[in-house]
Amino acid sequence: MNPMQPVYITAFCILRNRQLVVDGRVVLANHSGLSLGDWLKSAYQQLGMDYPKFYKMDALAKATLIAVEWISRTLPVAGTNTPLVFSNYSSSMVSDDRHAAGIYDPDDASASPGVFVYTLPNIGMGEVSIRHQLHSENVFFIFERFTPEFLVPYVTGMLEREGLQQVLAGWVEVGADGTCDVLLYAVSRHGKLPHTIEQLNALYNKDYE
Amino acid sequence: MKPVYLHGDHILSPLGDGSQVNFAQLLEGHSGVHVHDRPDLHTRPICASLINDAEISGLAEPSEDYTRLERLLIHAVQALVSRFDIPMDHKTAVILSTTKGNIGLLRHPRGGSIAGSRVYLSQLATQIRHHFKLPHDLVVLSNACISGALALSVARQLLQGDQYQRAIVVGGDELSHFILSGFDAFQAMSDEPCCPYDRDRIGINLGEAAVAAYLSTERRAGSIAILGAGSYNDANHISGPSRTGEGLYRSIQTALTEAGVERLDYISAHGTATPYNDEMEAVALGRVGLTEIPLNSLKGYYGHTLGASGLLETLVGCHCLREGILLKSPGFEHVGTSVRLNIITEHRRAPLDTFMKLASGFGGTNVAIIFRNT
Repeated sequence: MNPMQPVYITAFCILRNRQLVVDGRVVLANHSGLSLGDWLKSAYQQLGMDYPKFYKMDALAKATLIAVEWISRTLPVAGTNTPLVFSNYSSSMVSDDRHAAGIYDPDDASASPGVFVYTLPNIGMGEVSIRHQLHSENVFFIFERFTPEFLVPYVTGMLEREGLQQVLAGWVEVGADGTCDVLLYAVSRHGKLPHTIEQLNALYNKDYE
Repeated sequence: MKPVYLHGDHILSPLGDGSQVNFAQLLEGHSGVHVHDRPDLHTRPICASLINDAEISGLAEPSEDYTRLERLLIHAVQALVSRFDIPMDHKTAVILSTTKGNIGLLRHPRGGSIAGSRVYLSQLATQIRHHFKLPHDLVVLSNACISGALALSVARQLLQGDQYQRAIVVGGDELSHFILSGFDAFQAMSDEPCCPYDRDRIGINLGEAAVAAYLSTERRAGSIAILGAGSYNDANHISGPSRTGEGLYRSIQTALTEAGVERLDYISAHGTATPYNDEMEAVALGRVGLTEIPLNSLKGYYGHTLGASGLLETLVGCHCLREGILLKSPGFEHVGTSVRLNIITEHRRAPLDTFMKLASGFGGTNVAIIFRNT
């Protein structure tokens, strides 16, 4: 591919403030009163899919799975070698804290393998890979904040060099306090939205109604 | 892709402070893995490779302001920067590979000047940034047990553009009650020194290390080139490897194609000594027809050092390449995989030109990277 040729954001999904936005369209309106768990469940039900594994996942993996599921309805990814380049601030803190609460419980200290396995930020990418049968590269970065300044050149470079059709990238922040701030998107060679830092900041900062 | 070269490294481990010291210890056949009774770390004795706290107290970096892991990481980077006179400016990318960072602080605060927020990986990275007065943030990579090796691939990607001229890849993890209790819940830990690929293997020994490597696109005398890399998910299970080794198989295939090498002289495998991992690697290597290549796992010397492991074992592999030495794979006696591998049973001299590093981890991740002596 010619390095000068632009690449595009072909689909995106935002989960923030208990609101779900797909390609700029509000799919699930603000439910600010819901707990993160209840809200993720309603976002999952909105998809109308039957995937019982969902209920075993931690909140980070659930949010990741939901966002990629919506993107895959705009841009099919099943069985492709689409790499995943995801990032966040809290790593797997939502499960780290559960594991720590268990092992430091003064009355009944215990560790659960079902919790511990989610104490790595890349596990959500593993769940997505299983769901969509993606045999592809997974990279998980940790940043202070959503950092398109890093992601844009990195992802564009991957597409240019490796002859890939598309890459899924973005931010999947789920905090131990129940906050959820997700912007995942697909980048490929054809589309309308240019894959630029400015464009990603605009998508990330916009209030969708 | 532009070739990227590894110029040098610093290894801080239970076997010593410095890569030469470590390599001399390996040549002597010494291991950092021992049984430790450490109630502060685990409810029962552990067989692990632990960095001695007395040794850490001798490090130059101040203890007041930094956590134990931060001191180890800063020390490894400082040693590398001093030795190679690396400018810590806007042209130097610093990539940090860690799985759990300061996780020991979570719900278990240390007090003093160490804030609980240092449990967040970017806060840890900020300490390193400030220590070295780096003008930009570190790139933090947390990708389970392949982090250390994958960080080299990420550094290679970053060095393709114009933004950076050189990269430092630093990897490290420390053992904590958090980590040990988790692996124990999986019944994945061995109470005795681990025996990768052996019939009687029962599990891993965990370990600690802080390692740093210096890379650039400039070829120098004695540098080792990264020729090719591949990384693919199994898409099979989040806590167990694929029985067919699919992700690793694809990773190796891609790395070989990209490297375009005629042959490999040595494979530094992941070899955790869990029944499933070692079997999966043997199956994947069987599928690509590389079962005759001399292979070892270094876990018997260092344990599984988590976010450091792929980097540490690559750097040891680079030293083997330079010295023309194949190191014995500790703990192997009886064939224990369905596909027979060519496990190195004694140290021996051999002309070495190329080697491949493998790693696999939770989340179904795999990576293969091929290196060549220049």
